This record gives sequence, C-alpha cells and structure tokens, in this order.
Amino acid sequence: MTKCRISRRRFIQGTASVGAALASMSSFRLLTGSSPASAEPQQGVTYAQNWCEMCFWKCGLTAKVVDGKVKKLEGQPDCPSNYGKLCAKGNAGVFQLYDPDRLKTPLIRDGERGSGKFRKATWEEALTYVAQKTNELKEKYGPETFSIFAHGSGEHSFVELVEIIGSPNYCIPSYAQCTGSRDIGWALSYGKAVGGKEPVDSQNSKCIMLLGRNIVEALHVGEMQDFVEGVAKGAHVIYVDPRFTKTAAKANQYMMIKPGTDSALLLGMINYIIEKEIYNKNFVDGYTHGFDLFKEHVAEYTVEWASQITEIPQTEIIKAAEKLCEAAPHCYIHPGRRLTRYGNDTQFTRIVACLNMLMGNWEVRGGIYRTVGFKYDAPHMVHFDKPYADRADGAGSEEFPLGPKNLGFANKLMEHIANQDVYPLKGMFVYGCNPLHHHGSTEMVKKALENTELLVTCEIYMTDTAWLSDVILPESTYLERYDPVISTGRRKGYIQFREPAVNPVFDTKGGWEIAAQLSAAMGHENEFLDVREYNRLAFEALGITEEYMKKHGVWVANESTPYPVEDGEEEPSFRTPSGKAEFYSNLCEHFSYPPMPSYEENPVPAEDEFRFLFGRLSFHTHARTQNNAWLLALHKSEVPLWIHTDRAKALGIKDGMQVRLVKEGFKSNPCTARVVDYIHPQAVFLPYGFGHETKGLTRITGKGARTSDFTSNLTDPISGAAGFHNGFVKLEIA
Amino acid sequence: MYSADKTKKFAMAYIVDRCVDCKACMVACKAEWQIPDNDFRTHIDTGIAPAATERLSMHFLPHQCNHCDDAPCVTVCPTKASHKRADGVVDIDNRKCVGCRYCIPSCPYNARFFNNQLGVADKCTFCLPRIYDGLMPACVTTCPGRARVFGDINDPESEISKALKDAADNRYRVWTLRKDLGTEPNIYYIQK
Repeated sequence: MTKCRISRRRFIQGTASVGAALASMSSFRLLTGSSPASAEPQQGVTYAQNWCEMCFWKCGLTAKVVDGKVKKLEGQPDCPSNYGKLCAKGNAGVFQLYDPDRLKTPLIRDGERGSGKFRKATWEEALTYVAQKTNELKEKYGPETFSIFAHGSGEHSFVELVEIIGSPNYCIPSYAQCTGSRDIGWALSYGKAVGGKEPVDSQNSKCIMLLGRNIVEALHVGEMQDFVEGVAKGAHVIYVDPRFTKTAAKANQYMMIKPGTDSALLLGMINYIIEKEIYNKNFVDGYTHGFDLFKEHVAEYTVEWASQITEIPQTEIIKAAEKLCEAAPHCYIHPGRRLTRYGNDTQFTRIVACLNMLMGNWEVRGGIYRTVGFKYDAPHMVHFDKPYADRADGAGSEEFPLGPKNLGFANKLMEHIANQDVYPLKGMFVYGCNPLHHHGSTEMVKKALENTELLVTCEIYMTDTAWLSDVILPESTYLERYDPVISTGRRKGYIQFREPAVNPVFDTKGGWEIAAQLSAAMGHENEFLDVREYNRLAFEALGITEEYMKKHGVWVANESTPYPVEDGEEEPSFRTPSGKAEFYSNLCEHFSYPPMPSYEENPVPAEDEFRFLFGRLSFHTHARTQNNAWLLALHKSEVPLWIHTDRAKALGIKDGMQVRLVKEGFKSNPCTARVVDYIHPQAVFLPYGFGHETKGLTRITGKGARTSDFTSNLTDPISGAAGFHNGFVKLEIA
Repeated sequence: MYSADKTKKFAMAYIVDRCVDCKACMVACKAEWQIPDNDFRTHIDTGIAPAATERLSMHFLPHQCNHCDDAPCVTVCPTKASHKRADGVVDIDNRKCVGCRYCIPSCPYNARFFNNQLGVADKCTFCLPRIYDGLMPACVTTCPGRARVFGDINDPESEISKALKDAADNRYRVWTLRKDLGTEPNIYYIQK
C-alpha cells in the first residue's frame, strides 16, 4: 500500500474549496491505490494516467480499468487544468473507446472519391502506398506541394512529417479558425499573445465582462471552474451576446446586442470611462502609450451613438462601464475566444485590450494574471533541416507580416489548394481535423479536396473529410496510446503524462508511431524518437521519474506568483516597441495598419434573411463528438435552431417544428426550431458540428445542419485569420 | 459487502447557484453504472422566466432519486425489491425486482425508469458501493461547478452538514422538492 503523499500545504488548499476536500481526498486514495482501511483492494482493477482528448483543454484524468476494460474516467485531483473534475464530454470518453463506429483498420480508397468504397489494408500496405504516392508527387511538383491540417495532442507528429518531406505548408487550424485574431490583437497591445488557457483570474474577480466568450457552454473545465468560483464569491458578471445563453443565466447584467456591433458597445464604454475620468489613472499614466491620441480618437464614440448602433439602452452601457471601474483593477473584459466574427477581428480585439488597459488590471488578482511557466531542457522528438520554400498561404509574408509561420492560415491555404494559384498543392495530410466542417465555405473545401491528388487522413472516426480521402490511417484513441509529455502554464506550471489504459481495441496506432513509420517508408532517415524514449529524456531533464508520473499523472513545478505586479515583485512591463501597453500601436503604424481601432460597420442581412451565428454546446466539441451515443442522449439527438418568436411567427414556424436553413438555393437537413424571445431577431443560432454527410457516423449522419455550409469565408487583413459570422441565411419549414 | 451503516444517514445538496447545466453529472453516472444509452439516473432541467418579466432569468434544476424517508416506491413495491436501508439509501434489489413497474409512476419526482437491458426498475443509489469505498458519488466527484455536496448528515463534520449549516447561518434559501407530499426527501436545494 502506498503512503499518501499529500503535503500539508496541498491539503489546506484542498479544504479551502467548498465541497471539494472530501472528494479530492477520496479520489486521491483511489488513484494512488491507497484505499481506506475498510475496503479491500479490488482484484483485476488497475489505473492509468492520461489527459483528456475529447476537447483541447487537456484535463488530467485517471482511467479505471477492470479486467482489461476501461470502466470509468475521473479527473486527477492535483491537475491544474481541471482539479479532479471532468465535463460530460470527458466522461463520455469511455464510449468513444469502444464505439463500433470507430475506424478499425487502414483503408485505401477503392472507387470514386466520395463513393465511400474503401478496401481494408494492412498497415504495411497502407504505409507503403502513402509513401510511394508521396514520393511520386514530390518528384512531380516539388516538396512544397504538400500541406497538413492538424489539431490535437498528436498534431506535431504529422506536422513534423510534412516538414521532413520538405514542405512549409503546415497549419494548426486553431490559429486561423479560432484564436488567431485575438492573439495578434493582444500581442499588438501588450506584447504578448493571450494563449490557449486564457489568463483571466475569474476566481478572484470582482467584475467580469464577457463578450465573445460563452464560458459555460463553450466549456473548458478549468476556465469554467474559475468562473463559477468567481460567481459564488459574488463577482458582478456582465454578459453580452445576441442570445441569452447558460452563461447569461449566471450574469448580473445581460445585454442583448445587435449582432455585429460589439465594437460599438466597447468604444461607447471607453468614451464614457475616459470622459468621466473614472479609469485607472495610475496605470494609464504610468504604463501605457498613446493615451492622449486615443482619447481624441474615441471622442466621437459617445454612449448615445453606441446605444443607437447596438440597440442597448444608454443606462445599461453606462452601468457596465461604471461597474467595471468600481471593481478595477480586480476586473477584466475577457479577451474572447474564437473571435472569428466579421473579418476585422484583430482590431476588435485591440478595442477589448484598450478597455482592459483602462482598468489597469495587469498581473493583479481578479484581472489578467501572469501565466506561470517553467523552463526545462525539452528533448527533440525529431531532427531535420527546416524547409526553404515560401508558405503558400502568405503567413509571415509581406502581405501578412504578423502571421505566424509555425501555425499558418488554414483558411488561406485551403483557398490556395482549391484555386491552385500559388504553386501546385497536390498532396494533403489531415490529422485530427475535419476541414469540411471547420472552414468558411464547404464548397471551397470540396474544390480543394477535388484538386488534391493524394489525401491522407489520420483519424479515429470516418469524418466527412476521411470519407473523401484516398487513404485513411486509423489512430488509437488517447486511452490506447502514449504521447510525448506536455507542459502547460496557468497559475502554476505543470507537466502531464499519458499512458495507454488498454491495448488498442482495433488495429490502430498512435500518431507518432504512424508518422515515424511513414517517414521511414518514404526513405527519409528516420530520426523520430520513440515516444517512451522521448518521455524518458523529458523526465530526466525535469528530475522526475516515470513511476512518479504513473502514480500522479501530473507534476506541478515550483510556484512563482501569477500576480507579480500586485505582489509588488515587479512593475508592469510589456514587450511592445514602447515597452508599455499601447493604446496607440507602434507595430500597427510600422506595418501601415490603423494604429488605433475604429468602429467598422459590418454587413447586415436583408429583411428576409438572418445572420447565421454558431457556437458550442457544453457537451460537444467542434465536429468530433456528435456521434457519441452518451452525448447524443443528452439532447435526444435533436439539433436545435434558435429563432426569435416574432420572426418565427411571420414564417409560420412553431417551436419544435422541423426547419431547414437555406443559402443561395442550398438547403440543410432538418433542424428543430427552438422559438424563443431571447435571441436577437436579426440572427439565428445553430450549435456547431452537426450535418455530417459521411456514412461512417451511423448515429448522426444526415441530422442537422453543417455550419460551414452557411458561414462567411473572410480573412482578417492583419492576422490572416478567418471571419465566419457574415453568413446570411433564410429559413423554410421542412 | 456493503451492508448499511446504521449510524449514517446519507443526503445530498445542490448549491444551485453553482450549477451551469453542463450535464457532466449525467454522463459520469451513466459511465459508472453502465446505464442504457438513452436513460439517465440524474437529470438537469432548465427553467426560463416568462418573457414578460423585466429581467430574463434562467435557472437549472438538477434532480434524481430523493431517497425519501417515506418513499412511495417502497410502499408500492410488491416484492420488497425497493427498500429503505438503515443508512437512508433507497435501494432496489435486482434479484427481487420482477419488473412490474408499479414504482415508476408512484415516484413523484419521476426519478425511476425501466432498465430494458436488465428488465428491472432503475434509479440513483447514491453510488453504493462507491460511498462505502470512501469515494463520493460519481456525479459529485465530477461536477465541475462543485454544485453537488454529499455526505452523512448525522456527522456534523461532513461536507453536507457543513453546507446546510452554512446555508442556515447565512440565511440562504434551502428547500426540498414537493415538501407538501410528505415524502421527506433527502435531497436539499441551496440558493444564495
């Protein structure tokens, strides 16, 4: 029996959180195998450590394995991603593991593309096939003809494979399709990107303003936990959305905004705060750049003006501004996530950043905290020479100097594949992505796939994209494979470990293994490390052991403060040209972008149209979990389409009726009308990730609408990221 | 193996302000008990204030078996499969259940369903035997909002006793569902 290794300090932390102490203590006993005296250790029960892959937040979890089968997943109590908790998606990982709909063997297309005819292949056959085709294409068009769209813990396995082949065209779509504009906007303002684990200190905040962040339904466990703690402690929550969501349910103030006018609201608030001089003068005077110019610049954006544009009463706008200032600096305006709204999102994010600057909430409790990281000499998984050709999508080029070359523009690259207008782009790899759902135009993606001579998909399910592939390489799920350890920073820095809970249920392999074998089959000198070897080197560099990680799953680094400014350890500092937080962006000026953000009017739908809005449900991720029977049961497989009562009435649509979205003659599958008063009449809302065409997802194929059939396909001029919400649709009764 | 400890009385509270209707509890319970795909032992309902109110409001109502002290399901069960244990848990003995389904409509909380896979009535058991193994019920362990509090109300040091005392001290609203029916439920709702 293992000794319980809870330090005194951690035990106190545990008891500090309401209702959590007992749970964590008990789970800890369970996980460490140190069971309470009353219970016998169960025979045939083992535990394996992992992090969740049902979304991308990477919650630490422990799999309980009974007689060789995974029975239950539970959060690791000490993991700073989730502190012992899992959401519905995380809990449904067990179903995914044993889902008969999973891809079970490698498949090679054996009919017309889209016919769904595949022949089963052995791994050797499939790898040889891909390697030969790849080398042929490379010979014919040059190495830069290859592209890769990759997302998930194994994304770098295929990214590095494509780099080894010699192509610069690798994309992590979460940049262009999700956080790119926000991160660039934040970097221009503060000198640093927000990062995937937004450093907003909800749990200590006195006032939280959310727009572009439905924190409760676009659910990331750690972020949502912090939010609920903040709410429980009495934070004043201001929520802005054209739709009354479950986050709105937790808000003190909800503002139904006219879709597409968010920047007007914030500029109006900024104007008011500056006019009334209720901003944080100490911070603005001491640590910001260009305030006087900015003050002049926003003078025209009065509250009255903002109210007219946004349809929000002036009193509400003023109330929000005052509540924030009363709480400052222990408040924040969320930087937003998936700010892929209207194609001008970097400047919108600049407005969010400027409003935050007025609060002086930098690296203080309840504001923006400093992500605590740690340094260690991470081993290299693979060695190779960097490719030399220019990227086809323009990331990092003269047109998009701020576009990160290591993330790429998935939207632009796909366009260039469709149009073949830069250089031939004939070979596409897809890892853990489903471009037919993730882009602004399905038509464009289909054209790109048609223009591709070799499409290789590495997946666990027969997605719409896999359905059109030439070769499908089935990946093991996260519960069946090792992955290189990951390091993350939140208020603490930490390392997470993944080991297989069970042997692969079907004939599948992990991404790193597949990439390494493909690389070898292509004739490259195979320099991929084995994952376990990589982990061993990482543990050595960290001074920990695999045994420790097998027991705990997570290793938390020495702590430093996430609030260095408030704790008096440092003055606020920013990696901008001025060394200050910039209202007036020197970099924008340098690159000939407007140095201060202005209001830009977005296109509006015609009288008989709706703006098409989409987003997440708390129990689905992107387009990857919709076929999971446990999650489907939560909504009885229904795909709701939100529509305002008055608009529905005019169209003869009643609550619960089956309706179709229509755009330029194209019609969706039926969706279930949810007729409500609490969505702006100009918009309809659809949850993301339905409307699959593939025949391989037996429970969900043909149900609901695919968002990418109805979104706009715009590119932000600064970040190069996508803009989705200028898609306009009509409705008809099914 | 998990005989009832007479000194204990198990109960649960939902701190409803902390519930965000994420449905993690529903799926954790399903996983723990291998509940058939379309059934759940616990649910969350969403209620929305009528549009006519000045301020929109939405609340979430988690619910499950109330483990009533005077449980109608126990009264109507002809085979005594449904029974009240000494530790307060209303349990179903699957060996005795003949699938007559009397208990299902008798429950005023709609907490029971018919498990077609097993051919018996099914519902929440407060996660017997997890709780005797020193664990929390699956729904409590997983709840990201920490809305669920469970424990032995006979023990003043238990989390639930503390939560109820805290609620009383601070004059939070505390209630049970359908108190008027006199079933004496053991699920408490707490709202600030």
